[in-house]
Amino acid sequence: MDAGSGYRDAAPMISRRRFLRSAVWAGGAITTGIGSWVIRPEWASAAGPIKVGIATDLTGAAGYAGNADANVAKMVVKDINNAGGILGRPVELFIEDTASNESIAVGNVRKLVQRDKVDVVLGGITSSMRNAIKDVIVTRGKTLYIYPQQYEGRECTSYIFCSGPTPAQQCDDLIPWLIKNGGKRFALPSANYVWPHATNEYVRKIIEKNGGEVIFEEYYPPDQVEYSATVNKIMTNNVDVVFNTVIPPGVGPFFKQLYEAGFGKRGGRLSCIYYDEGALAINAAHEIEGLATCLDYFRVLTKEDPVSARIQAEYDREFPGGALFAAGSAATGMYRGLKLWEAAVKEAGKLDRDAVAGALDHAKIAEGPGGPAEMVPGKHHCKMKMYTAVAKEGNYEIVGRSEGLVDPKAC
Amino acid sequence: MGLQARPGSRAGWHGMESALNAIFEVLSFGAIIVLVVLGLGIIASMMGIFNFAHGEFVLLGAYTTYLVHGAGLPVWAGMLAAPVVVAACGFVLERLVIRRFYAAPIAAMLGTYALGLVIRESVRGLIGGLYISVPEPIVGSLIIGGVQVSRWRLAIVIITTLVMVGSYLLLTRTSFGLRVRAALENPSLARASGISTNAIYAITFTFGAALAGLAGALVVPVFSLFADLGIRFLIQGFVAVMLGGVGTFEGPVAGGAVIGVMSAALPWAVAPVLADVLVFVLAIVFVKFRPGGLIAGRRF
Repeated sequence: MDAGSGYRDAAPMISRRRFLRSAVWAGGAITTGIGSWVIRPEWASAAGPIKVGIATDLTGAAGYAGNADANVAKMVVKDINNAGGILGRPVELFIEDTASNESIAVGNVRKLVQRDKVDVVLGGITSSMRNAIKDVIVTRGKTLYIYPQQYEGRECTSYIFCSGPTPAQQCDDLIPWLIKNGGKRFALPSANYVWPHATNEYVRKIIEKNGGEVIFEEYYPPDQVEYSATVNKIMTNNVDVVFNTVIPPGVGPFFKQLYEAGFGKRGGRLSCIYYDEGALAINAAHEIEGLATCLDYFRVLTKEDPVSARIQAEYDREFPGGALFAAGSAATGMYRGLKLWEAAVKEAGKLDRDAVAGALDHAKIAEGPGGPAEMVPGKHHCKMKMYTAVAKEGNYEIVGRSEGLVDPKAC
Repeated sequence: MGLQARPGSRAGWHGMESALNAIFEVLSFGAIIVLVVLGLGIIASMMGIFNFAHGEFVLLGAYTTYLVHGAGLPVWAGMLAAPVVVAACGFVLERLVIRRFYAAPIAAMLGTYALGLVIRESVRGLIGGLYISVPEPIVGSLIIGGVQVSRWRLAIVIITTLVMVGSYLLLTRTSFGLRVRAALENPSLARASGISTNAIYAITFTFGAALAGLAGALVVPVFSLFADLGIRFLIQGFVAVMLGGVGTFEGPVAGGAVIGVMSAALPWAVAPVLADVLVFVLAIVFVKFRPGGLIAGRRF
C-alpha cells in the first residue's frame, strides 16, 4: 500500500481553518504535557520539598507493573511525609508515564530531570527501558537512578542502583530444587530479547554444575502466541523441566498447550522466575499446577511476617482492585529502592548526588516486603531474602527459603 | 545438542502421531486467523475501508465474554452475547465516526486506529493491565488416532467453517448480499435504484464488528484476556487481506488461511525467530509479483 501518495492526494482537502483548529488543539495538548502527574505533600518547609521522580509504564504492555510501582511510590512517599519527611523537608512526587515505549519514555524522563529537576529517579520495568532512559538520567541528567525490577544483572554503571533480584539470587537455590523435584532434562524456551538471553547463560551454567542437561534452548519473537512446534519438541524429547522465559502474551497459550499435550500429567515440572501472584491469573489454575518460581516476596508470607503483612494490608487498603502488590512487577523492588534511598539521604544529610550515592552504596533497611535488605558495597545491587514457591490450586506455597540474605553476585 | 528422542520413552510422541498432531495444531491456528480476518476482510472488501480498530473489536468481544462469565453466567452465554454487544458498539461508532471517512480511505485508517487506541487503553484500565484467563466452555482433549486434540480448538475449527460458509452464502446468495455488493460496485447507481447505501454501509460495518466480537469470544480461552489481544492480530490481518486481495469475500479468507498456516507451520521447520520474519517476507514477495493478491480483480 502506498500511504505516501494517498497523503498527497488528500492534502488539498485540508482547509486553512481546519489546519489552524488542529494546530491549536495539538499545541494545547503538547504544552500541558501528556502523562505527567505531580503529587504535592500536605505540608511545606522553608527549604522546599525534596523531589522524587518516578518514570514507569502506566500505559502499554507493562502497564500492570507500572501502575503497581506508581502506587507503591505514592504509598511510601505518603508514609515518609506523615513521619516528618526527610531532613525536615517533605517529599514531592513526580510521576511520568514511559508508556512501554522507549522513544516516548526518553522525552518524558527528560522532563523529570531537566524541567522538574528531581533529586532521584526510580523506575523502568524492562531492561530495554532501563537502557533507554539511564543515559538521560545519569550521564546527561547528573541524577541518581534506582532500577527496581528483577532482571539479568550486569548493570554496573556509576550512580545506578538496582533493588530487584538478579539471576544468581533467583536461580542458585531454585535450579537444584528443580533437578530434585522435576528431573535433569531441561528445556529453555525463551522470548528473544536481552533478559532471557542473559538469564539463560547463567541458568545453563547452574544446571550443568548440578548435573542436569539442557536439551534445547530456543528463542521466539516476544509476541509469538502459537507454540505447537515447541510443545512437540518438549514432549518428544522427554523434557523433565521447562524453565520458561517466554513472556506475556505468549506464555499463557504456551502453558495451555503444554498442559493439553499432557506435560504435567506425565510428571513434567514448569518453572518461571518472573511468575508472581499477578501471573497466576494468566492461566486456569490446573494448567500451571506445580509451577515453581523464586522471588523476594510472596503474598503468602503475610501469614508469618508481620512487616510484610502490614505493607500488603496498607497497599490493599489504599489501592483496592487495581494493579497487585507483587514481586514480579517490581513493586517490592520499588518499596525497597525508595526506603534504601531514604536511609541514604538521612545518612548523607544532604541531597548532593555523590554524597547520597556514597551512602546508598552501603544502605540498609531492617524492614521490607519479604524481609530486610542491604546494598552490597561497591556492587550496586541488593542482598535480600529469597523464597522458592510452587503454584497449588491458584495460590503459592513456600517450599524453600534462603538462609539469611542472598548475595546478588553482580558487578 | 541431543535433540533425538530417547528410546523407551514414557509418552508415545513419535513419528506419525507427531506429524498428525502438527497438522491439527497448524490447521487450528489457521482457523483462528481466518476467524479474526473474516470481519476485517468483509469490511475492507465490501466498504473499501481498512478498519484498524478491528483488533479492538476482537478485544471487546473477549472482554464481553469475560464480563459475562465474571457475573456468574456460563462462558457460552458470554460468547453468545459478545457478537451482539460488539455489533452494537460497531453500529454506534459507524453512525458517529466511521461514516465520515468513507470518502477518504487514508483518513479512515488513521481514524479507526485512533478509535482502536481509545478502546484498547480503556480496556487496559478496566482490567488493570493484567492477563486474565477465561475458561473454555468445552474442556479437555480428545484422542483421535492416538493424537491429543484440544476439544476447544476443534470447536473453533468447526465454528469457523460454519461462520465462513454462512457469511459467504449471505453475501452471494441473498438479496441483502446483492444490495451490499451493488452499494460497493456503484454507489450512485445503487442509490438511484432505491437502495439506501447509507443503511447498507451501516449494516455491513455492524456485521463485520459482530464477526470480530465472535472471534474475540472464541479465541479468548486460548490466548487469555489482555489489552493487546487485538493488536497482536492486526498486522497478521492486514497482511492476510493484502495477500488475499481486497474486493472479494474469498480473498481475505484465503489470505488469512495462508498466513495462519504459515505462522504455525514454519516454526516446525526453521528457527522460530526466523519463521516470524519469513511469513512477512514471503507475503511481501508474493504481493510484489501479484499485486492484486491471491484472488484478485473480480468484485463478486
